[in-house]
Amino acid sequence: MALTSCSLLRLQPGSTGSIQRIEGMNPILRRRLADLGVSEGVMIRLKGKGPFMGPITLECNGQLFAIRRKEASMIEVKVS
Amino acid sequence: MSSIALVGNPNTGKTSLFNTLTSSYEYVGNWAGVTVEKKIGSLKNGAGKLIDLPGIYSLHPLSRDEGVAAQYLIEESPEALINIVDASQLERNLLLTLQLLEYGKPTILGLNMTDVAKARGIQVNPDILTEQLGIPVLPLIARTGKGTGQVLSVLEQPSHIPPVTFQLNYGELAEEAIASIVTHLHKISGLPNLRWVALQLLEQNPVILELLKKRMDISGLLLIADTAQTRLQQEKLALTLPQWIRSVRMDYIRKVCAEAIDSTLQKPHNLTERLDSILTHRFLGLPLFVLFMYAMFKTTFDWIGGPLSDLLDGFIGGQLSDWTNSLLGAIGASEFTHALIVDGLIGGVGGVLVFVPQIFILFLMISFLEDSGYMARVCLLMDSTMERMGLNGKAFIPFIIGFGCNVPAIMAARSIEQPKDRLLTTLLMPLMSCSARLPVYLLFAAVFFPAQQATAVLSMYVMGVVFALILCKFFSKHLFKNETSIFIIELPPYRMPQLKTLSRSTWEKGKGFLRKAGTIILAGSVLIWLMSYAGPGGLNVDMDHSFLAKFGGFIAPLLQPLGFGTWQAGSTLVPGFLAKEVVVSTMNIIYHAPDAAGLEGQIASVFTPLSSISFMAFILLYIPCLATVGVIKKETASWKWTFFSMGYSLILAYTVSLVIYQGGRLLGWS
Repeated sequence: MALTSCSLLRLQPGSTGSIQRIEGMNPILRRRLADLGVSEGVMIRLKGKGPFMGPITLECNGQLFAIRRKEASMIEVKVS
Repeated sequence: MSSIALVGNPNTGKTSLFNTLTSSYEYVGNWAGVTVEKKIGSLKNGAGKLIDLPGIYSLHPLSRDEGVAAQYLIEESPEALINIVDASQLERNLLLTLQLLEYGKPTILGLNMTDVAKARGIQVNPDILTEQLGIPVLPLIARTGKGTGQVLSVLEQPSHIPPVTFQLNYGELAEEAIASIVTHLHKISGLPNLRWVALQLLEQNPVILELLKKRMDISGLLLIADTAQTRLQQEKLALTLPQWIRSVRMDYIRKVCAEAIDSTLQKPHNLTERLDSILTHRFLGLPLFVLFMYAMFKTTFDWIGGPLSDLLDGFIGGQLSDWTNSLLGAIGASEFTHALIVDGLIGGVGGVLVFVPQIFILFLMISFLEDSGYMARVCLLMDSTMERMGLNGKAFIPFIIGFGCNVPAIMAARSIEQPKDRLLTTLLMPLMSCSARLPVYLLFAAVFFPAQQATAVLSMYVMGVVFALILCKFFSKHLFKNETSIFIIELPPYRMPQLKTLSRSTWEKGKGFLRKAGTIILAGSVLIWLMSYAGPGGLNVDMDHSFLAKFGGFIAPLLQPLGFGTWQAGSTLVPGFLAKEVVVSTMNIIYHAPDAAGLEGQIASVFTPLSSISFMAFILLYIPCLATVGVIKKETASWKWTFFSMGYSLILAYTVSLVIYQGGRLLGWS
């Protein structure tokens, strides 16, 4: 099966990818994500996209959370 | 008396546990009803005090809330810790647990929400956890109180909790650095566990750095850390020391979890998924939220709160006044005492107390939204709007709390990570119509817009929000250039709030209002009554010749262009600065109104519909109340920003009222 890397934003709602790289993100946000267990190698699922270009909802380690699209675009995921 | 600290991640059920473990309940800090710094309660078994710290992810603080928790552990020395963790989120929760274990105080692990975990097919084995971490692990369901008896019995003798022996090996490089820092730290006394301090220093915890800086020259310690970091990089182990420490901990946690958790049967959150697919729907989400808000206001003002207030008003204005009158007559009270009690006290305080049912209902619904998990979704829904205005969606929760009272709302802004967002939220908070302004709206809406009361009141709230958004854009563009805002929010699973927790938090929030009624409003009413009773000509003068009239007449010309240039309106504004509740009680006294109906009659003859809107807008905007000013000063630690918030709101109020009144007149309204 071919592996492709893309920005988290490109995932279809409901689908899952494993985090490849997180780059260029605001350090405070980066730390907060790490607190939630979001780091390289972890599986992440895109649950939905908010209205008016609002934040996207993600699930990681059974925890639901939301971040803005701009920041989500800095997370690169691998999908199989 | 021993003290035990309750520590854990946000949304792990700390408050539920706190409520079940403690009987009496006091807040630290000057105001009630907030996630104030830390809550202290007495343990039910009398074994000591329980301190509830704000929810934190790690000891390295990002927001001010977290700073409070870290500071507490450094500066005070609790005898034991209860670390509460969410069994369905164990991996993430254990990161804090490890930091707490390194702190070295006797610790109990409260494994909470075992029912939720079980329902989702996650089985956590407490015995394996105990074995791995070396501390007592007690399975709990804090919401129902299951297992809390066991916690209490362990706490009976905090000294019996076994000491913590946990130690993680951070590898040769880091361990060398730790050991050499510890030898330096031996020189100063009064520090908690030295290994813990050393680790926190290596992690660059700002609170620890700050504390050490005060006690010693830390340049040597920083050098040790730097050297260790350089060597880590050379050996390609990690980019930074904090990252290295974190990864060592995560490796260990994964190992523990792999042994202690059986998640082969894990299922998704069905209820939460289904609710979220509707409530955070891209198109339906926002309209639903607006609908909920409308229902909330309708319930508060029309459906339940209003009728209850009417009942109370009937009692205070009718029976209570009659009883007092006959009692005073029977004991032969002087005319002065009689007037003081009936007009000053009952008229003033009673006029405000009638709003208690509505305020409590509003608080109850806000607590419900908070506890159910919906509030976090609201932040999510509002983020894109808030971002356009230069803030982030998280600021929305403080703003909603601000509808209850600005004071706790400003304190709730502490959960916002970025200083700029926090300051903006604080500065704009006074534009949220707090419950104290509500009586004014209710009074005027009842007189001038009887058919659309809820709409009239709601539009005042909306007006505040609209101005907050406009000013937010303006301030963030001109006062805080080049600062971006960030947004991340956890979405807890939906759950039915517990009646007990709801009633407790509603009471905690509403208590402040009652307390104010008993102090500031009482004193204000008496003072204002005295000023209306006395004048340059002596006591018991005609109100038009009283000190109050003289004073109100002094500012009245300024208010003339706004449509309410009477001494009566003018003289409500200054006491209104003390507390906005006093506006209505002042009116009760000035207009000598025996009850709401009487006051409404008087108002109808003095104001016009147009000037009433102008007056309501002025009351909404003109200046934060004294308590709010106090908390703004405290939270911003700056007189500049405190005066700024007072100044901009005064200018805004004058301009807006002027535009409303003069504009309305040009359009031919009256």
